[in-house]
Amino acid sequence: MKRRSFLTHALVAGSALTFGAGCIRKIEPAQTNERQADNPGNSPLSGASITEPARQIPILAETDVLVVGGGPAGVAAAIAASRAGAETYLVERYNHLGGLWTGGLVLPLLSTHAVDKNQQTKQVIHGLGGEMAKRLADMGMAIHEINPVVDPEAAKYVLDEMIRDAGVKMLYHTWGANVIMEGNELKGVFIESKSGRMAVLAKVVIDCTGDGDIFHWAGEQYDEMKYHIGLVHRLGNVDRIDKTKSGYVKMDIGGETPIQSVNWVNMHGEDNQDGVDMLNLSRLQMDYRRQVWENVQKIRQTPGHEEVFLLDTASQLGVRMSRIVDAEYKLTLEDTMTFRNFDDVIGISGAWTTMLYKGKKVRKRERPYWQIPLRSLIPKKTENLLVAGRCFSFERELVEDTRIIGTCLITGHGAGAAAGLAVRERQAVRNLDISKLRKLLVEQNVWLG
Amino acid sequence: MVRLGEIFKRLRFRQVSALLALLLALPLGWKELTGFYAWLSPFILLNSIFGLKSVVFLNLAGLVVLVFVIVKKRWFCRKLCPVGLACDWASSFNSGKKNRIKKIPSIGKWLAIFSLAGAILGFPVFAVLDPTAIFNGFFGAFSHSSSLVVIISLAGFPVLLLIHLFVPGIWCTKLCPLGGLQDEVYRIKEFMVTQMKGDRKTASVSFGGRRLFLASGFGLVSGLFIPKLLKGETKPYFRPPGSVPKKYFDFLCVRCGSCIKTCPSSILIHHKDAEDAVSWMIPEISFEKGYCLEDCNLCSQVCPSGAITLFDTEAKGMLKIGLAEILPQNCLLTQNKECDRCKVACKYNAIKIDIHGPYDALPVINHDKCNGCGACFVICPAEAVRMKHLSSEL
Ligand SMILES: Cc1cc2nc3c(=O)[nH]c(=O)nc-3n(C[C@H](O)[C@H](O)[C@H](O)COP(=O)(O)OP(=O)(O)OC[C@H]3O[C@@H](n4cnc5c(N)ncnc54)[C@H](O)[C@@H]3O)c2cc1C
Ligand code: SF4
Repeated sequence: MKRRSFLTHALVAGSALTFGAGCIRKIEPAQTNERQADNPGNSPLSGASITEPARQIPILAETDVLVVGGGPAGVAAAIAASRAGAETYLVERYNHLGGLWTGGLVLPLLSTHAVDKNQQTKQVIHGLGGEMAKRLADMGMAIHEINPVVDPEAAKYVLDEMIRDAGVKMLYHTWGANVIMEGNELKGVFIESKSGRMAVLAKVVIDCTGDGDIFHWAGEQYDEMKYHIGLVHRLGNVDRIDKTKSGYVKMDIGGETPIQSVNWVNMHGEDNQDGVDMLNLSRLQMDYRRQVWENVQKIRQTPGHEEVFLLDTASQLGVRMSRIVDAEYKLTLEDTMTFRNFDDVIGISGAWTTMLYKGKKVRKRERPYWQIPLRSLIPKKTENLLVAGRCFSFERELVEDTRIIGTCLITGHGAGAAAGLAVRERQAVRNLDISKLRKLLVEQNVWLG
Repeated sequence: MVRLGEIFKRLRFRQVSALLALLLALPLGWKELTGFYAWLSPFILLNSIFGLKSVVFLNLAGLVVLVFVIVKKRWFCRKLCPVGLACDWASSFNSGKKNRIKKIPSIGKWLAIFSLAGAILGFPVFAVLDPTAIFNGFFGAFSHSSSLVVIISLAGFPVLLLIHLFVPGIWCTKLCPLGGLQDEVYRIKEFMVTQMKGDRKTASVSFGGRRLFLASGFGLVSGLFIPKLLKGETKPYFRPPGSVPKKYFDFLCVRCGSCIKTCPSSILIHHKDAEDAVSWMIPEISFEKGYCLEDCNLCSQVCPSGAITLFDTEAKGMLKIGLAEILPQNCLLTQNKECDRCKVACKYNAIKIDIHGPYDALPVINHDKCNGCGACFVICPAEAVRMKHLSSEL
């Protein structure tokens, strides 16, 4: 009896000792130092250099506001500044306005809608973005009310008209080439064109180059983001595809546009690409054009598709991301998920896709609208500079929302209005009277929540 | 100050303790402390240690209680147990027939011994009957949508109370394995004392040793045979990262629901495969609402039984839940639409967009790096990602 009971107890009490509890249980990471090999630099620069002789540069203009880059952000910025009463110049390297939206053939204006605090989906892009969309829709050159798809030529025309009406001084075929600095103060920009190098002096400069060329030259801090680069094209005669033809197979012919016979075809393109490396862009441009051509031939050879043809490839290579400025405030994913309010809100943008937030799935139709603060457009160091478009200041997690055309229109509008006001009030953009800016934006039809 | 002291004195230790247990059992975002009371149960502690032959830091809490319980009779019952308090309260509605339970044999200690013996082979058969687990499980059931299984785990505690309206006092004295365990370990002290006194004739050590011996024998034997009895063909499901193999999990897991309550992504639900009753109520991952966060190990931190092994968040990449798989026919890239959401969502750099040629881009998943967190599955706008079970689960 006793021995048995003792055994029992040995079992109960002793097992812990017999069997261990000898180790602390925790799964630790394996100690491997896996490092991703960086892309080897493919710069052909030999390291040799040459000094350009100093020279006198003619000053083309001394203006209030200078906007560099005529994409969605730049156009909105220039019009807003001009409408606020500032003399405004807009510099664009190519021959059209609208940037990737038109020249890049990226036709859907996304993020026009989002959910408000009462869970109602509503339009959030108003102001100049709303105006553009409305004008195009009235012309029959935009389809769908939410996230409209536009015709690029119609958009170029409308943007030209709006710029002209606003009295913006347009400089096409002109590159912003460098900054003119006095200490931390940005005084203007050197431009380069068929007419040679010139200077435009300005009280406020707005960097709408998409790639942040201006803040890069000004020596601001930024995050470099390598992303996929594509080349969009359009197909004609897609309404003449004969599905009844024997041997017909469904081919991928992209998405519809306002013109019935024309589709646009997106391209994902190669990942991890440097969008500000000219040699890389040149290589991609040629590779992609060949791919597009060969792909269209494949389509044309498919029974039923004989009449389809390559209407055009985009005149702007699709650089989605390159530089993201470090501004006074970096917009966070949390801000966009929680109806975060900013005193210095300059506009509101919407949602076009599902996002992950704190491990949870937030569907497009549940996603809140989100405010953008002026501070996320003001670089930390340089005075008289604002940044708008796909290179303003945000966390990378947000990139799918911040680089989108709707958001670019909003940041552009906000920056333009702020620049116009700064000039009018003779204040630095950094010290702007926020309540006045708010008033101006509301007058200009921007929705601030 | 004096007042406060007075009030404090008047409060009974067990009531304060029960209140605390209640608070921590509620799904209130206690993070690491969620369901903390289960850590205090020496029954869960010993099942876990015997089963896993290892400890985690928080086991110290249970060990301290164990020492108290050896020294002071039924110390846990008297000072800490929220279930005991609730049962006593329920019993108080029935004052008459207290002696009714005298005839009922006390099986709590058998359950305890049986369990612990089984635990040595990895199968603590009655660990689920731990009162702290029943208590926590009840509150765990509130955190999610209902199903039959959730109702069962919801039912445990109220049913216990209900029984006390008719048979007062039965749980603590007769059924509770934690109570039984306390009685048994207290004998250790008595045994020691008598040994030290050298008074070998004292009867206090003879306490049905044969039956207990048998119980532990049965426990061991059942531990040996359970794995063979279990059907091998239950439907596979996704289990929390760091989980012990399924057949052990079913028994180690005490169904306290702490992991389900604490999961910040709300992806843990009560498992409910009709064919697989053995694993009812154990945590299952459903990627419906979210994915398993790359920087989170809360489930492993709160698991008092060790069914989910404590892991370092850095180690998460190697703790596979499942594997993601691309369904090319659905992927937006095959339609040249703007997308690479899966690639960006992947925190383990497991997804690459492969460009095979003109207009032939497709995400490719590196299954060495993929840990099945589900982020790509959750974010894919086109239902082009499928979550696959690990071959070890099939
Ligand atoms: C392939 C692709 C698909 C996309 N799909 C969508 C979509 O479906 N919907 C959506 O809403 N968004 C989409 N986007 C994103 C969106 O099109 C762009 O992010 C948006 O147009 C950026 O606007 P932006 O004004 O900041 O810059 P951009 O549109 O890039 O405009 C910058 C302008 O500045 C000019 N410029 C640049 N540098 C200089 C310089 N140094 N001097 C003078 N001018 C200069 C450029 O010529 C250009 O016109 C897509 C992008 C790509 C590439
Ligand atoms: S998220 Fe889905 S649709 Fe988008 S690239 Fe990945 S698999 Fe394709």
